[in-house]
Amino acid sequence: MKNRVNPWVMALLAVLLLAAMAGSCLLGAADIKAADIMQSPIFWSLRLPRVLMSVLVGAVLSVCGAAYQSIFRNPLTDPYVLGVSSGASLGAAVAILLGLEAAVWGVGGMALAAALATVWLIYRIASIGNRMHTTTLLLTGVCLTLLISALISFLMVLNQEKMDSIIFWTMGSFGSSAWSDVAVMAPVAVLGIGVVLWHGRDLNLLLAGSEAARSMGCEVEKVKRVLLLATTLMVAFAVSSCGVIGFVGLIVPHAVRLVAGPDNRRVVPYAMLCGALFVLVCDTLARYLLRPSELPVGSLTSMVGAPLFIYLLYRNKKGY
Amino acid sequence: MIGLQDISISYGRREILHDISADIAPQRITAVMGPNGCGKTTLLRLIGGLLQPTAGRVLVDGRDVDSYSARELAQKVAFVRQHAQTDFDFSAFETVLMGRNPYQHHLQNESQEDWDIVERCMRQTGTWELRLAKPAQMSGGELQRVMIARALAQQTPVLLMDEPVSNLDIAHQIDIMRQLKSGEWKAADGERKTVLIVIHDLNLALHFCDDLLLLHEGRCLYHGPMAEGLTEENIKKVYGVDAHVADGRIVLDY
Repeated sequence: MKNRVNPWVMALLAVLLLAAMAGSCLLGAADIKAADIMQSPIFWSLRLPRVLMSVLVGAVLSVCGAAYQSIFRNPLTDPYVLGVSSGASLGAAVAILLGLEAAVWGVGGMALAAALATVWLIYRIASIGNRMHTTTLLLTGVCLTLLISALISFLMVLNQEKMDSIIFWTMGSFGSSAWSDVAVMAPVAVLGIGVVLWHGRDLNLLLAGSEAARSMGCEVEKVKRVLLLATTLMVAFAVSSCGVIGFVGLIVPHAVRLVAGPDNRRVVPYAMLCGALFVLVCDTLARYLLRPSELPVGSLTSMVGAPLFIYLLYRNKKGY
Repeated sequence: MIGLQDISISYGRREILHDISADIAPQRITAVMGPNGCGKTTLLRLIGGLLQPTAGRVLVDGRDVDSYSARELAQKVAFVRQHAQTDFDFSAFETVLMGRNPYQHHLQNESQEDWDIVERCMRQTGTWELRLAKPAQMSGGELQRVMIARALAQQTPVLLMDEPVSNLDIAHQIDIMRQLKSGEWKAADGERKTVLIVIHDLNLALHFCDDLLLLHEGRCLYHGPMAEGLTEENIKKVYGVDAHVADGRIVLDY
């Protein structure tokens, strides 16, 4: 009945993650011996930033998923399912068409604006009436995703010369990760995850419902606003550097809850490390399995995530 | 303890409460009664700071409810809601432990004292044996008692209860009402609680509550001692039902 994070579990996960990072750096299309790795430009300029990005993005997406599930009081939500990631990719696509890709913060900023607009829309639609209904919420997300992918296709046809770089955003890949991405993603991740960790207790209360949370001393509206802003910031920058990677925010918190229970003061930190590990492993497989060619990592996570989502939907139906 | 000053509230065009003024006596049990849809729950939500009145003021401990932060108010007023539900699997113990939230800061963990308070509240409501149970494993009545325990764990001077016993079997109904009347539920300072309770059972109300706030079509028809308020005439007027009051019992004509 402990509600604290177990430091031994955290340490174990951290060691596992570091080992996986080291292993991932040794694997790749080019065969580099462990002894020579520190001298290898492939390690320094390709593999290391890519490994770091997959770790950061995995952590960020999982934490966002855990937070969304509490904010929307719905175990079936994450930024991908609700269309917020797609929103961010639309923003990124528009930024590219406007020629802003030279500035890292330019693409990220546009992605953030579009993602915020999507969240706002979802939140408005879903909170009509007191309780958010699963069906309304999920259908809104599906419709927005469809609308946004239609808009992106439209933009691509109008600007065929930039099609390749836009397709990249809809697939999700760490293939072009560079140190400049790490330099942006790392502070965003630290800030955003910090905000979510800080509100662990509030996330638990939100699960009891807005009114109950308020009666137990949670400034519901303020907390939701801060959390939505922090999570959207993280999603937007993750998407603007590596595209849409689906279902991570759904799979990881669910797996963690199975073992650690529903308390967000445990779920969020565990999900952070497990998510980093999960995306790192997926990305390593994505670039190693078919070497020298590559799978999009988003298709790997979706192949795991979509069946799980359907299973959860099925189980939920039975429960009610 | 609680002052209602000329309260009116509307949802859209529909006025739910009209010009209600009352001083709820401290450390007494006030039953809020009236037919379905007469604004009982709305009244409790106003006092709990969950709604703002369209006109008038709600005072708790001499201060406007709006002037409290959520945390401050949660140390003054606890609310047992009519329908308790959650889709996530917090155990009964974890649920009750959330009642200690108003006394903690962001990253602070619950102390041994918090755990002791939670155990005491769960024993009082007969839910200690259920402490490891998940919501799906509990009956409606058991969940309701867990929610009462959670509100008790807040140790507030004011307790608002919206039909807390409607889901309970008669033994637990009487048990909860007895505890309520005995004054064994204490605020953090050891004083008796001021209780507002929405209740439909006339006899439970008559026997266990001190005062009555009778609502009729959004207005306050009667506010005062229970025995003088729950008369044949008032019951007929509010519910349209014939009743006989004799020897401290109310018998309805079916």
